[in-house]
Amino acid sequence: MTDRLAGICFFLLAAGYVWLSAGYTAGFGDPLGPSIFPRVIGIPAVLLGLSLMIWPRHNADWAGADGLLRQGAALLLLVGYALLLEPLGFVLSTFVAVLGLGLLMGAPPIRGVLTAGISAPGLYLLFDRLMGLPLPALGTWFG
Amino acid sequence: MEILSSLWAGFAVAALPINLALIVAGCFAGTLIGALPGLGPVNGVAILIPLTFAFGLNATSSMILLSAVYYGCMYGGRISSILLNIPGDEPAIMTTLDGYPMARKGQAADALAISGIASFIGATLATLGLTLFAPLLAKAAIYFGPADYFALYVMAFATIGGISGTDPRKTLLAALLGLMLGTVGLDPATGVARYTFGSFNLYDGFDPIVALVGLFAISEILFFLEQKAQDRQLIPKGRVFPRMSRVKEGLGASLRGSVIGFIAGILPGAGASLGAVMAYSFEKRLKDKGTFGTGDPRGVAAPEAGNNAASGGALIPMLTLGVPGSGTTAVMLAMLISLNIQPGPLLFERSPDLVWGLVAALYLANFVLLILNLPLIGIFTRVLGLPAWGLMPLVVAISYLGVYAITHAAFDLMVMVGFGILGFVLRKLDFSLVPVVLGLLLGLDMENNLRRALSISGGDFTVLLQSPIALLLYGITAVFLALTLWLSRRDSKAFAAKGGR
Repeated sequence: MTDRLAGICFFLLAAGYVWLSAGYTAGFGDPLGPSIFPRVIGIPAVLLGLSLMIWPRHNADWAGADGLLRQGAALLLLVGYALLLEPLGFVLSTFVAVLGLGLLMGAPPIRGVLTAGISAPGLYLLFDRLMGLPLPALGTWFG
Repeated sequence: MEILSSLWAGFAVAALPINLALIVAGCFAGTLIGALPGLGPVNGVAILIPLTFAFGLNATSSMILLSAVYYGCMYGGRISSILLNIPGDEPAIMTTLDGYPMARKGQAADALAISGIASFIGATLATLGLTLFAPLLAKAAIYFGPADYFALYVMAFATIGGISGTDPRKTLLAALLGLMLGTVGLDPATGVARYTFGSFNLYDGFDPIVALVGLFAISEILFFLEQKAQDRQLIPKGRVFPRMSRVKEGLGASLRGSVIGFIAGILPGAGASLGAVMAYSFEKRLKDKGTFGTGDPRGVAAPEAGNNAASGGALIPMLTLGVPGSGTTAVMLAMLISLNIQPGPLLFERSPDLVWGLVAALYLANFVLLILNLPLIGIFTRVLGLPAWGLMPLVVAISYLGVYAITHAAFDLMVMVGFGILGFVLRKLDFSLVPVVLGLLLGLDMENNLRRALSISGGDFTVLLQSPIALLLYGITAVFLALTLWLSRRDSKAFAAKGGR
């Protein structure tokens, strides 16, 4: 069943890709132009997506409800970490991310807090101070 | 002779203090990363690439560091296979078959020593092979024209899935997806913005490095959260010193495994996993008297020699043709391209320091790894006791700080997370990620070669089929595709017989 879905997704993606390529035109001296290569790769992808839709072969097993919940929570943390790295600064955002992910992976709360509390400033000191990678210590919200 | 003098110059490069330090650090980090379940050479190298950029290492030093990590991972992968029955990385799966039974019989020290020496033999022979064969292949590849390169890329994409048994349509789709992602951004030849949807952030396209860290490191985190955390049971090492008599039993198997692994490594798309599988099954067919799978030293030596030799072999097509043979070498290629170094036959003439410095560094790395993995093995077995909840979040933090340090843009962190989700979903759906990476990396060059070939011929597409080299490459591609289709039809029938849909 998942193969059929994947096939449909690939079919739609590749079809849209080929369709959009028609809009890319450019002038002289280039016999190929910017729209041919996308067609060379897009059309086989349309066909393969179609084939996967019609003749599926594999069915993925997704995680159970609690697994999906953990993955969803981790995803929120990862997106939040990406968005808040600059506003919160490296140390604070890393503390939250390491603690949150650690807890999701089954860390005992106190040891999780200790790990995050040591590693967040530790990574900052190691990479920013010792090795010279510029990282924002305090974010724009505090500065 | 020419090779010897080049190699001598290479040792002069590798022996610079900074490079020596990187070899030791890379070997240590690699063994560690390889030993940790869930992290392998691809993730390890992917996480480190942004850091090498941020530190401003030159191309030679970066390659030396990454290759030391790559070799180190291959050594380290066996440690958790033997002591935990959990392979540290994919190529180490075969080592669990006889390594874990040996450990359970109280022979963990023997198994670790045998596999350490087998790794050394495999990696050293492969480095020797690299020294001898890479310059030859580079010389042959100088005769490749644009049409031939286009054919070579077609072959690389068609064969990258190897004979792994996954649906070949998916491998091709993954490669095409990578190529499609690679066309995002300004078209370098005409300046037309393609598939950017008006976002200026996308004008430069997707940075392959950012994509790689997402695909391999971030998706691994999502994978890891699938199962509930479980305690790992470390087997006590038993006797401290290995017995030489047991070690000797594995020597012949190591030599045979090395040769098989090396050949498997050179083949595009096969990589270290196939090297280990082939070496193990060959040894089993040759020598098994019912002892394989119950803790036979030869069953430990063969796959370890095989996967280490394969990782050396996989460097050959990457350096000489610019077409990587495995996931990890694809990641290394990404780094070279980002440093404006185009691997390929001319690399040997233009950057002899890089090529030979790297080769010399690999010889040195093997000795460092032998020391780390025999007398100092205790450090790494202790690391296995560290809990995953402490280590995996640090992988995330290092990925973020590495990517942020090279791009300074929150947008790229989001791209990284996006590629992480993509990588996770693709792996769940049984798509391999290596073709995606290859497509993303080689797409631009593939298009350029197509353009060059067509502008020579004035737009006539038959130029693609006029060179004998190109025809040979298409021939190989066709044979390979026919073979994989035939193999996968057997799988498909088995799938239908199980009543699956």
